[in-house]
Amino acid sequence: MTYNFDWSVLWRGQSGLWLLQGLVTTIEISVVAWVVAFTLGIFSGAVRTVSITPLRWLASFYVEFFRNVPLLVWMFFWYFAVPPLLPQPLQDWLFDHGAEFWAGVVALGVYHGARFSEVMRSGIQSIPKTLFEAAVSTGLTMAQAYRLIIIPIALRLIIPPATNESLNLIKNSSVALTIGVAELTFQTRQIETYTAKAFEALTAGTLIYLVLCLAIATTMSQLEKRFAIPGMITKRQTGEF
Amino acid sequence: MKRLLLLLATFISVAGSITVARAETTLEKISQTGIFTIGTRTGSPPFAYVNKNNEWVGFSIDLVETSILPLISKKLNKQIKLEKKESAPNTRIPLLTSNAVDLIAETMSDTQSRREQVDFSLTFFATGAQFLVKRGTPIKGIQTIAGKRIAAQQGSTNAKIIRERVPTAKLLEFPDQPAAFQALAQGQVQAYTNDGIQLAGLKAKAPKPDEWAIVGEFFSYEPYGMAMRKNDSDFRQVVNVGLMEAIESGKYFELYEKWFGPKGEVPYPLAPETKRFLQMQVVPK
Repeated sequence: MTYNFDWSVLWRGQSGLWLLQGLVTTIEISVVAWVVAFTLGIFSGAVRTVSITPLRWLASFYVEFFRNVPLLVWMFFWYFAVPPLLPQPLQDWLFDHGAEFWAGVVALGVYHGARFSEVMRSGIQSIPKTLFEAAVSTGLTMAQAYRLIIIPIALRLIIPPATNESLNLIKNSSVALTIGVAELTFQTRQIETYTAKAFEALTAGTLIYLVLCLAIATTMSQLEKRFAIPGMITKRQTGEF
Repeated sequence: MKRLLLLLATFISVAGSITVARAETTLEKISQTGIFTIGTRTGSPPFAYVNKNNEWVGFSIDLVETSILPLISKKLNKQIKLEKKESAPNTRIPLLTSNAVDLIAETMSDTQSRREQVDFSLTFFATGAQFLVKRGTPIKGIQTIAGKRIAAQQGSTNAKIIRERVPTAKLLEFPDQPAAFQALAQGQVQAYTNDGIQLAGLKAKAPKPDEWAIVGEFFSYEPYGMAMRKNDSDFRQVVNVGLMEAIESGKYFELYEKWFGPKGEVPYPLAPETKRFLQMQVVPK
């Protein structure tokens, strides 16, 4: 009654192709969603620190509303609840052109945007207020001070937590399988269906996620070193990891 | 970095070399814990679903409760409690192999490739795949789905067949039946394929059953069996004898009447040849 491992299911038949297709879809959905999330996050994160009250409220509302509802619910919301509100021809066009992919992108992007926003806000708030005051006193408008001084510095400061958030986004993209997006986790299940070998398929999926995320984490830590601002981030003491 | 890689290598080699060690048989396990655990569904009426009164019921569950559970209790000489866990097409085999459940009793088709991983009881229901569509749509069966958006249940045999026979159909796979039906109701897909009997169940449970139609000839053969861990013939014998006794004593047909009869949840008359087939599976005592 022991489980017999048979790793060859991973390269027999179409398994390899499926895993590759799944990986490509995972990367596609993650990259597009990341661009959405990052843009929303930077913008709303910055807005949360400005002195214009209604704008701040609006950004706070966005963050609290979207990050405090489970991602799964957002997936269903964007896929099942939003399309009926659109005109019929647009609905049909969407359904014929991968509506599930775009619903997944919006769900992931808007949800993680709210989380990126908090990362951005903490980055901006860690910059001494005097820097903003100094920028404004040179004659820059508030928008210019943010665009030219505050945000570029904050972006360098938030590399570690932003990396964390980006890796979360990649892994959370697997939730999109609930609305039928054929990403990596979906494909591992597909292999399981065809071969009835669940553990092998899951292990393959796990390793691919691990390698993908490790590669990104390593690249980002190089980036972090390269863009560290002397004097603002203390150099790390030991360099093992 | 070096240490990290070493750690990773260790992890992988450990994970790769795990053999799920299992000393005891299923009957020994049940005897020790006093609990018989089945994996079943929550959204597949009338085989296994949660009804209006929030009770987890169905034909498959009834079969286990009335025919297999008493036999296990008798065989082990003690009162055994039945426990139900949710299973889905892609979790049922891991649930079995990891010992989380002892028997899968839902709507699982017996197939040759699945038999390489698990053992099946005798067939307790036979059906085939069809399509559920909004009444009046041009889809009439598997010949007319090219280029159409078709929903299927992830990990089902039907999805596999469609992918192989009609690669031009846009197949969308959902993890469970409610999500797939939702997609059909809203027009994300134009048809939903599943075993005919399950579609009948879904249609009967829909808010407006008359809006839906089940179309097409069976494009697959789906014999439902109960799955269990491989190479445990004592347990398999108990399950099979339970089912055989149910068929022989007529208990099976009473349950069939309860769920599929004219007053049942999903009226679905038993074809004479199916009845004959069920009876012929019963071997003499």
